[in-house]
Amino acid sequence: MSVAVAERSAAPPQHALRPVISFHGVSKVFPNGTEALRDVDLAIHQGDFCFLVGPSGAGKSTLVRLLIRDEAPSTGRIFIDGQEVSRMSHRKLPKLRRKFGIVFQDYKLLQRRTVAQNVAFALQVTRPGQRHMREKVEEVLWIVGLEDKLDKFPDELSGGEQQRVAIARALVHRPRIFLADEPTGNLDPDTSWGIVQLLLQINHRGTTVLMATHNREVVDLVRRRVIAIDNGRVVRDEAEGQYLREGTATL
Amino acid sequence: MRQIFASLWFALHSAGQNFRRNLGVSLAGVFTMGLIIFLVGGSLLFTHSVDTVLQGQEQNASHLKIYLSDNASLAAITNFESRLQHDPRVISVTFETKDQAKEQASQNPSIESALAVLGSNPLPASLNLDVRKLTYLSQFNAEAKAMPIVDSTTPTDYNSDVISKLNTVITVIEWVGAIIAIILLTISIVIIMNTIRTAVYSRRTEIEIMKLVGATDWFVRWPFILEGMLGGLLAAIFSGAVVFGAYRLFVQAAQGNLLSVPFDARYTITLLIVLLVGGVAVGAFGSFLGVRRFLSA
Ligand SMILES: Nc1ncnc2c1ncn2[C@@H]1O[C@H](COP(=O)(O)OP(=O)(O)O)[C@@H](O)[C@H]1O
Ligand SMILES: [Mg+2]
Repeated sequence: MSVAVAERSAAPPQHALRPVISFHGVSKVFPNGTEALRDVDLAIHQGDFCFLVGPSGAGKSTLVRLLIRDEAPSTGRIFIDGQEVSRMSHRKLPKLRRKFGIVFQDYKLLQRRTVAQNVAFALQVTRPGQRHMREKVEEVLWIVGLEDKLDKFPDELSGGEQQRVAIARALVHRPRIFLADEPTGNLDPDTSWGIVQLLLQINHRGTTVLMATHNREVVDLVRRRVIAIDNGRVVRDEAEGQYLREGTATL
Repeated sequence: MRQIFASLWFALHSAGQNFRRNLGVSLAGVFTMGLIIFLVGGSLLFTHSVDTVLQGQEQNASHLKIYLSDNASLAAITNFESRLQHDPRVISVTFETKDQAKEQASQNPSIESALAVLGSNPLPASLNLDVRKLTYLSQFNAEAKAMPIVDSTTPTDYNSDVISKLNTVITVIEWVGAIIAIILLTISIVIIMNTIRTAVYSRRTEIEIMKLVGATDWFVRWPFILEGMLGGLLAAIFSGAVVFGAYRLFVQAAQGNLLSVPFDARYTITLLIVLLVGGVAVGAFGSFLGVRRFLSA
């Protein structure tokens, strides 16, 4: 496979449509003075599958939190679907967050609820009283391959299965964009590979996927777009990249 | 409609779950709130009882003697008397002649002998007034002074000292009651706030998920507000019952003694309703403050 070599030169595939996610000169300085992101420019289009790679502390999670406006950028502008989220009012955040599905390294499951109840929770708290909730829950659990675990509790499942429940919960309101922040961080290689396959499958159905990871094997096997950040800066953005710069030991 | 019921059910269900899962903290909160409501209710009832008793005293103190000049004509006196009789501030007026005054005074032996030495009767005739409120006394005192038929040297037996002291006591008791109530109210809001903080903390993952999947702030808030209201209601019911019981015992105990405190049913019912509504409102407000910090993040 050919890989563009110039730093940050490999443009993402050309689209006629505006990007679904775009960053324009975004920086984030935390109140304690940490510069987590520095002057980030980024465009991700509908249907893209991107890895966000970089060492621990590079700023991957911060970038994800800016997307869902868990944090506001210090400077720069962020657009989702053409809507500026960097200055969005607090009141509009619920609607913004319904465009995203998001999973983390820790699955954030409710231990006292069953698999089906965990997934249904996302619908209950956003669209209370909607019809056919049970069917919707069963459908996404079928997609993630847990149709026979509906009534199990999280502590009866393996780590990989728990992450699948989290993915099902993130999918149940049919998000436009799927965010995964180190989803395989706690999983063994085989299980990790299964989770990545699932994310690829979700992407195949048209959902934009952004996965932050420092799982080298996975990134190198999949060969999709790679955005590398180090010390808060985007240092590489390649259409079919690897975890490290081709033929080197650096990002 | 379906959506409203589903939201309400969700909020009620979570509120009940919170309450049970943190039963220790919830009960401690309810108990402390109950104690405070008991103190507020008790002090209000006590103030009211003292007020009632003092008002009784006030009634006793609401007499005024208007001394009449010796050369006032009977027609002028009758005229003044009937005017007083029709005054809405007045309960009753009686006319006391010079002779009646002498007879009254003669009950004291030393005065009787002094009167005998004098030969003539120096005591003035008077109009004896009973008024509805203590504060009217000074008004009638001022009005009497302006009348030509009233004795110019000693117009009335008005004693401003005693009356103003009594008024001060009543005002002080009312103020102290109000200040104590405000302090206790603030404390109970803080208590509810902290109870809810514990509940919020034990549900932090749930709230985090709710925010991530796009639940609105009010959807997150409602269960906690309902929980606070439930706690406030329980506290008010229990302490209201205790206050009511204690008040009845107090009234019974006081009956045999010097001060008979009347059982004021209307005041008691109003008070119990105020305690219930107040408990629920304080619970809701405390919860609102308790979740606020977490939601604004
Ligand atoms: N809330 C915060 N306050 C202060 N510093 C933070 C905060 N969150 C993250 N950081 C810092 O920002 C930098 C980037 O963190 P993060 O985005 O979590 O990195 P990554 O996800 O790539 O490991 C780190 O130095 C981290 O310590
Ligand atoms: Mg991270």
